[in-house]
Amino acid sequence: MKKLGVLVSILVILGLLFSFSVLWAQEGASELEIKTANEAFEKADKGNPDPAWKGQKLTIGVYSAGPRGAISGPLYFWRPYFEKLTGATYDIVEIPFAELREKIFTDLMTGTGTYDIIVGPSWFYGDYISNDWIIPSDKYLNDPRMPKWEPESILPPLQELYSWGGKWVGFNNDHDGQVLYYRRDILSDPKWQEEFKKETGKDLPVPPKTWEEVYEVAKFFNGKDWNGDGAPDYGITMHLKVAGQGFFHFMALSAPYVVSPAPGDDPKKVTRYHNVYWFDPETMEPLVNTPGFVEALNMLLKLSKTGPSAMWGWSLGEAWDAFLRGKAVITFSWGDVGSLSQLPDRSVIQGKLGVAPIPGSEKYYDLETKQWVEKRNFVANTVGASWHGVISKFSKNPDLAAYFLSWQATAPINHWNVVWGWTGVDPGTLYDLLQPTGKATIEEYVATGYNAEDAAQFVNAYEEMWYKYPLKQSYLRIPGTPEMWEIWDIHLSEAVTGQVTPEEALNRTAEDWNAIIDRLGREQLKKIYQEAIGYKPE
Amino acid sequence: MKRRVEKGNVFVTPAIIWVFVFTIFPLVYSFRVSLSRVSYGKITGFAGLSNYMRMFGDYRFWGTLRFTLIFVLISVTATTFLGLGLALVFNRKMRGIKLFRSILTMPLFTAPVALGYLGVMMFYEENGPINVLLRYLGMGKVPWLSHPWWATLAVCMVDVWQWTPFAFIILLAGLQSISDEIYEAAVIDTSSGWAVFRHITLPLIAPVLGTVLMLRLVDAFKVFDVPFSLTSGGPGTATRTLTFYIYTQGLRNFDLGYASAMAYFLLAITMVIGTLFFRKYRELYE
Repeated sequence: MKKLGVLVSILVILGLLFSFSVLWAQEGASELEIKTANEAFEKADKGNPDPAWKGQKLTIGVYSAGPRGAISGPLYFWRPYFEKLTGATYDIVEIPFAELREKIFTDLMTGTGTYDIIVGPSWFYGDYISNDWIIPSDKYLNDPRMPKWEPESILPPLQELYSWGGKWVGFNNDHDGQVLYYRRDILSDPKWQEEFKKETGKDLPVPPKTWEEVYEVAKFFNGKDWNGDGAPDYGITMHLKVAGQGFFHFMALSAPYVVSPAPGDDPKKVTRYHNVYWFDPETMEPLVNTPGFVEALNMLLKLSKTGPSAMWGWSLGEAWDAFLRGKAVITFSWGDVGSLSQLPDRSVIQGKLGVAPIPGSEKYYDLETKQWVEKRNFVANTVGASWHGVISKFSKNPDLAAYFLSWQATAPINHWNVVWGWTGVDPGTLYDLLQPTGKATIEEYVATGYNAEDAAQFVNAYEEMWYKYPLKQSYLRIPGTPEMWEIWDIHLSEAVTGQVTPEEALNRTAEDWNAIIDRLGREQLKKIYQEAIGYKPE
Repeated sequence: MKRRVEKGNVFVTPAIIWVFVFTIFPLVYSFRVSLSRVSYGKITGFAGLSNYMRMFGDYRFWGTLRFTLIFVLISVTATTFLGLGLALVFNRKMRGIKLFRSILTMPLFTAPVALGYLGVMMFYEENGPINVLLRYLGMGKVPWLSHPWWATLAVCMVDVWQWTPFAFIILLAGLQSISDEIYEAAVIDTSSGWAVFRHITLPLIAPVLGTVLMLRLVDAFKVFDVPFSLTSGGPGTATRTLTFYIYTQGLRNFDLGYASAMAYFLLAITMVIGTLFFRKYRELYE
């Protein structure tokens, strides 16, 4: 009897712990968060929820970051609102980043239908589409039951990640692209500007415009006590651990060395040799070991020596933390850094943040002439996951799933997620950009705790990159993309840690990619690749 | 008599079914898969021995095999020696010995993946406890997780930390089964502790020692959790074990044919090494 009592007590305690953990997302929210979320909820279109949905339950598979973490956090936060709205609810299944692919693809491959909704990365699309695993969002855009959201508000380079073959396939949520973050207070300090001039004979570039300038600045500040804490500080911070998403750094860094403008009137035209980044669209031969990539990898290696050597073993969190704690003068990353820099419990640099579009290069390699062109080149990127929801074809309740995702994609809810940094949802729509290009005001950001100048720098950097940069880097969306990127990540790590030379690392990558292409079918992949990048054989 | 045999068969049947369903069938099926072309989990054709042949030209396979062998050598040797040393120290009457034994065995009951993540904090290069301690002792910062050799050592250290208590418990039980009278008789002939250990203790615990070595050997070949959580197999593939590579190919890239072929190779080398080891061991101590 006594044992039974102990057992019951343990079960009750576990039950209470579970309940608290479920409630935590709302409990941990500030009054301002709740107030602004209520306003967003009232403003958002609600469509006409089907009464038959009452009592039903969805399952959402999402990258695991907890109830107050990036991407998974908003799902916890908005659940009570969804329950109020529809009478239905959902379970959130958090999947660690390293296991996303096997968990999600196994579910889809076997047709199990565990997840009605998958909030996944955009690099899954090649597999989603070629295996017919998802229901396109296009189907629901004019459904009167669904809340109205505005796909056209998503900025043009990002629209490509949410669509396929001219149709919308995903639901608006996160918008990724890497930009340059720097310490505005330090780089604009006359004392440091004078010392830089004395040491290098050049003016301190504020902000650095090319990777060559980034290197000079990072090298100058590395090892100096520029934050006055009595210990030497760092030039740059990056996440270079294998499986720590370091290859995204290289993706963003290498683009201006590799992507070249097309000759003639339209520099954006995709030809066999211009505005291509991944493969030769005629042969599917990888470009990853061409001279542009080699030059970029040498630059990455140089940059990696202007920060802590520990960053060769760092993932995202550690790299961001070094910048947010005021130990590194430069980093380049996603929008998360901009929003996290405004959270007093994470950052000491609020009011000191400088943000610029991703740097360009002083030269680029022309694949047609096989010559270097000594001219500055700027290429916008959408590297990263741009986490967003899709509906599984095996969902038992796709209409309810579409309702939830449409509602989350509405401007008021999505913009709320963007301005609250902990959500991990980054800006990338017209209603995130400031007027006159966009619809947002600086006051909206300030109201949620942003420093006005930081917010302006942050949002304007994205606007400049996605609207004003002459060229853009294509996103890889072919079957086998996750495997290719994983292999690339490994070989880059080998190069960065000195196990192989940059040329060897990139040759190995090309060799492995060719093996994958041959295994999955070169002709089939070529067709999908050509379609994905908008290449038309001449 | 016949009825007793029939009754016995009934009791054995569930066990036979269990073995067929959970051992024989997966073994046969995975062998079939290893001879097949598999795409997205579906068998699409017969591949003959091509999956096996592919291993020989795959430098990543040889790299992971090399790391696995290095890991097995370091980890098995270190856990066994440390476990034996600790067992010898604790094989005596001391105050609070039960408490010490309990504390020593604690890592054994921790999930390896949790120890791996704990290792990430312990070996953190900037301000992790280990580097802080080394700095306090006047030594430089060690690149535990960003240098291939140090990362190898870090993975081995976490594994040794977890499995030394296993060797310790088994060997302590072995030592305690040796009668005190044998030692009392031995000290009449020699006063050398080493001689007593070499000629009395070691031969008497040899069967237990053999069991520890064998179990550790098999377990070390299968290691996955610690490199997965501590280093993600990096830097590069410096700490990627063969099981990690099989997992990546099979469950992440869904290349199940190749993954099955490599799993069979691992099974074969484990069996060969185990057989050779036992044969040599029997020659020495029987």
